[in-house]
Amino acid sequence: MTTLRTTDTGDVVVEELLPAEVLPEHLASGAAARRAAIRQAAGRTLGRRRTATRASHVLCALSVGICLVPLVALLAYTTARGIHAINLGFFVHDPTPPGIPGGGIRNAIAGSVLIVGLGALMAIPIGIVAALFLLERRGRVATIVRFGADVLTGVPSIAMGIFAYALLVEPLGHFSALAGCFALAVLMLPIVIRASESAMASVPVDLREAALALGARRSRVARSVVLRGAMAGLVTGSLLAIARAVGETAPLLFTTSSDLFNLSPLQPTGSLPLTIYANGTQAFPEAQQIAWGTAFTLLVLVLLLSIAARIVAGRLARGSRWANSRSKR
Amino acid sequence: MKVFDQGGEAVAAPALLEEVPPEHRVPVAGVREAIARHRARRGGGTYTALRWLGASVFVAVLLALVVTLVSGSSEAFRHSGLSFLWSGTWDDNRKVYGAGIFVVGTLVTTFVALLLAVPIGVGSAAYLSEMAPCRLAQPLSVLIDLIAAVPSIVVGLWGLLVLVPLFEHHVEPWLSRLPLLGHLVFAGAPLGSSLLLASVVLAVMILPTVVALSRTALSGVPVADREAARALGATRWQVTSRAVVPSARSGIEAAVTLAMGRALGETIAVAMVVGNRVAMPHGLSTTLLAPGATLGSAIITTFGEATPGLQRSAVIAVVVYLLAISVAVNAAGQILLRRRQRQRSARVAA
Repeated sequence: MTTLRTTDTGDVVVEELLPAEVLPEHLASGAAARRAAIRQAAGRTLGRRRTATRASHVLCALSVGICLVPLVALLAYTTARGIHAINLGFFVHDPTPPGIPGGGIRNAIAGSVLIVGLGALMAIPIGIVAALFLLERRGRVATIVRFGADVLTGVPSIAMGIFAYALLVEPLGHFSALAGCFALAVLMLPIVIRASESAMASVPVDLREAALALGARRSRVARSVVLRGAMAGLVTGSLLAIARAVGETAPLLFTTSSDLFNLSPLQPTGSLPLTIYANGTQAFPEAQQIAWGTAFTLLVLVLLLSIAARIVAGRLARGSRWANSRSKR
Repeated sequence: MKVFDQGGEAVAAPALLEEVPPEHRVPVAGVREAIARHRARRGGGTYTALRWLGASVFVAVLLALVVTLVSGSSEAFRHSGLSFLWSGTWDDNRKVYGAGIFVVGTLVTTFVALLLAVPIGVGSAAYLSEMAPCRLAQPLSVLIDLIAAVPSIVVGLWGLLVLVPLFEHHVEPWLSRLPLLGHLVFAGAPLGSSLLLASVVLAVMILPTVVALSRTALSGVPVADREAARALGATRWQVTSRAVVPSARSGIEAAVTLAMGRALGETIAVAMVVGNRVAMPHGLSTTLLAPGATLGSAIITTFGEATPGLQRSAVIAVVVYLLAISVAVNAAGQILLRRRQRQRSARVAA
């Protein structure tokens, strides 16, 4: 009969023993003691394992808690302060001079829509076409473009602002919405390129080759197969780029800065982030109230855009199945 | 593909036509023209031109960005030499420009922010990916992914109006009373705006990024690895710490590096809470409670008032400096991410 025995140092050794019945009385009781010792040692190991698992579980759950506290506090506080500031007039009035109540952020909303809209109009077509280039071309130029997109993603957004300042503000002599939307377009470009490229790469090569074999031109393949198959991914990428751009302050600070309501691309224009910055850094409670209201508006806008991007991306997963069943028919 | 003449006889495939010696070629009406048309359709055409246009516009913008900033900063670099990179004096009146203080501020705030955010972030990611029940992990992950999109100006506003008073009256006095740290790291008067608060704000900003990216890296580890470890008798914690985390290490490193890039390049939120002290009165101080400046916050606070010429060039030099640092960090992150993808595809192939 084989038995395990624990030494004083906690190691387990294997021992050959005679069957219990043939053992003399005093040795049999020794075997029982050993069995108890083994049980105790095993209990200790199991206990250690259980404690370590529980401790790690608690620590990791605690870190989730610590992580959520500031994030949820930020959201809750902005919402609580922002909702107080918001009424219908907040969205349809222009800001009033300091001390006069009832100011709104119509100028900032219009300005943000103008700047981000124009920026998206510049960035999204160029980005998608550049992604098509990457899809159909391997080689040095493609490597440069891909590397450039990677590098540009890591460039701090203030650099885009200073770039647009040197390129468009200094020659024109004044701030303009155009300079701001150019800065945002540069910011959005790499996001659009990378998202579009991965969306297009997910269209099966078989489909493209099948279209080519049917005699379709490459432009036709791009339009009817690649762009159509990657549509959900393209929309997701563009929405995420817009969501990122609409909240950026640094590129607009030295390019569009203004308080005026304006719809002309060549004039200075207000925007949501700059309204938050300008009002939030003042000591007057009224100005801070406007800053909170604007921050809440911006937060809701960005979250809606991100959720929309998520929903489209979710449809992408279901859409591919749908495309398969349709191609079978 | 074969080309037939009008009588139905095969002439040649277009690609082979070139190899047929001239004396064996049979003149067939329209074939050459058809081939030329075919070539023109494939090779030239508006589609190819369009694609090249998109790529070249992008490369041109990128080059213009670099050239504009570097040429704008050249005057300052000529004026101050390479000591611009570490000299600690920034004085418009004496025309002495050095970005040393800003670099130190950037490095300190980024380091402290990572110190706060990485353990909590990776721990949260491990919990969400490995330990939490699915019903809890799913909504929390979505929530954190969404919070990652919160604009930095909103975080900055919250930091300025909520955290500054909180730190001034409660957190910083308490920290400065700590036995040993109070004299070394947290010495000085509690002012609210400080390098410490800037680090905390940065940590809040990068936390969702760290959690989201590390969670993706952790859940990318094959289930088979986990099952193998479980089968060997590993507890859930041992599976996480000895099988999953080492396997996802380069992904987590990439998450940290990308978060670091974001912290380095952040401008507006830091400028609102860091105190923006451009001059260091007694050289470098070791306390985190002192107000300071980072590269990003210095750009925002000095560019507006800078007059054209040397002064503006000095600010643009700070932009170039910041650009170089963050591009280097991000490139490192991208390389790590690539390596992880390659590793995974190699494993899938094997």
